[in-house]
Amino acid sequence: MSAVTTLAGMGDRAVLAADPLLRGDIDLGIVGIVVLKVVVAFALLLVSVMLMIWFERKLVADMHNRIGPAVAGPFGILQTLADGIKLFFKEDLIPDRSDRAVFKLAPYLSLVPAFLVFAIVPIGGDFSGDGTVTWFGERTYLQVADPPVGVLFFLALSSIAVYGVMLAGWSSGSKYPLLGSVRASAQMISYEAALGLAIATVFLTSGSLSTHDIVATQVEGNWNVLATGVVPFLVFLVAGTAELNRPPFDLVEAEQELVGGFHTEYSSLRFALFFLAEFMNVITMSAIAVTLFLGGPSGPILTDTLGWVWPILWFSVKVFAFLFGFVWLRATLPRFRYDQLMDLGWKVLIPLSLGWFLLIAAMRVADAEGWPVAPVVVVGLAGMTLGAVLLSGAVAKARAERLADLDATEGVDA
Amino acid sequence: MLGQYLPVVVLLILAFLFAALSFVASRLLAPRRPHDRKAAPYECGIIPGRETPERFPVRFFLVAMIFIVFDIEIVFLYPWAVAHGGLGLFGLVAVLLFSLAVFESFVYLIGNGALEWGPVRRVRHAVSPARTSTSTIRRAGVREVGLEGRTIGDESGRAA
Repeated sequence: MSAVTTLAGMGDRAVLAADPLLRGDIDLGIVGIVVLKVVVAFALLLVSVMLMIWFERKLVADMHNRIGPAVAGPFGILQTLADGIKLFFKEDLIPDRSDRAVFKLAPYLSLVPAFLVFAIVPIGGDFSGDGTVTWFGERTYLQVADPPVGVLFFLALSSIAVYGVMLAGWSSGSKYPLLGSVRASAQMISYEAALGLAIATVFLTSGSLSTHDIVATQVEGNWNVLATGVVPFLVFLVAGTAELNRPPFDLVEAEQELVGGFHTEYSSLRFALFFLAEFMNVITMSAIAVTLFLGGPSGPILTDTLGWVWPILWFSVKVFAFLFGFVWLRATLPRFRYDQLMDLGWKVLIPLSLGWFLLIAAMRVADAEGWPVAPVVVVGLAGMTLGAVLLSGAVAKARAERLADLDATEGVDA
Repeated sequence: MLGQYLPVVVLLILAFLFAALSFVASRLLAPRRPHDRKAAPYECGIIPGRETPERFPVRFFLVAMIFIVFDIEIVFLYPWAVAHGGLGLFGLVAVLLFSLAVFESFVYLIGNGALEWGPVRRVRHAVSPARTSTSTIRRAGVREVGLEGRTIGDESGRAA
């Protein structure tokens, strides 16, 4: 019972999110701090992408019992930099049949959203207090921006990134990129629905869309482990992996079928930018998962001197765990089949996260109205079961009809 | 409130400049040796025999259309999720009714096979029972495998 009340009992917070730095008038000094923050975040992203690519190659190599990059720099750590520089010197090819303007636009549409998503991630700040740090006499959050729309901003940008992939494949004027991009857009929008429904439960407990407020409410309520930490978190992880087109959901660039997927026709720097965006998305998706479900930078602050380092350290450790997980998945799991991918997204993840959202919502409202919570849970679970039965009945009916149609057109097998 | 978006705008400009300047650098540094073969669609060395298809299976469109239903549901759920404390029981009943309507139509769609992607799961005889090991396995030396219909030494069939 106590678990249930903590689950539903978080008070309602009507906090209007805003970085205190930008609440008042904006003078030149504040613009200076903003530019400094942006440049630091930008450099941090680029360096971490560089390290991530190296880390992935090295770790996959280890799991395959190979050595991996070992020549450029100690442990081959500069391999990514070397590859990047090499790509500057490679010929930039634009296919004859391509739509030139769109072909050139697509890498921007992939890369720019990848950079922007990181802006809303809090990477530090002591959340046992109000999560601010003081720089040059100004109080500010350790995140680039904290707009009130917060997570909606992340969802909007991940929708724009779909355009990058779609247009890249379409404008190439070639078979395999087109197939790859059609697959990619269907996959990404399918899992975006599951992703969005999983995040909705987080908004129930936080009462705010701002990432800073979400982290602050998680710190008050043990990260809301029961409400958001199990079902929505797992749905988010699976949907996030599919959204990133990472293995085991990398049908977008299934080499055996599609050459390289949507970026087959891209070479030189244009390819490099797609590659950069892809790995940057891995890092930002991990950072968003940490922010929404695992308390962001919160964690014990163990020393008084240099206390501001600890939240950044906790944040990095949590993000690193996700990055390791993504690489591990890639080394371990075989690729899904396309129908399995679609079935998992539409027929499992979406109904599950919708049902869980309604269950938690009903529990919270029951708690606020002063009803006993246990009957509400029982009724909610019964409703979810009924929904699952209906859904599996519909799936079975559709499958039976499809097979019957096939028998009618092709004849039953000998 | 719009001041909160200032860093986003700065980051947008920086990201855009990064991409644009990289292209400028690449244009200055990269060689340009155009060739017909390089500008042709890449199909692993096979010369493209037909135009790129402009149509693809209608199922992809269906996915996009059904996605819109859920996207709209999400659009309605988010504001309620944030403000549900003040709306109480009335808000909950409204959202439950709304979700029920969406879910019911979703079940209808699935029941009608809108999201049926699967392969035919049925045991088929992949090989005709008339085929035996003597009828399918060729003996080396009697015939050169893969060269049926070609005269050996005639290169016209090979180089396209």
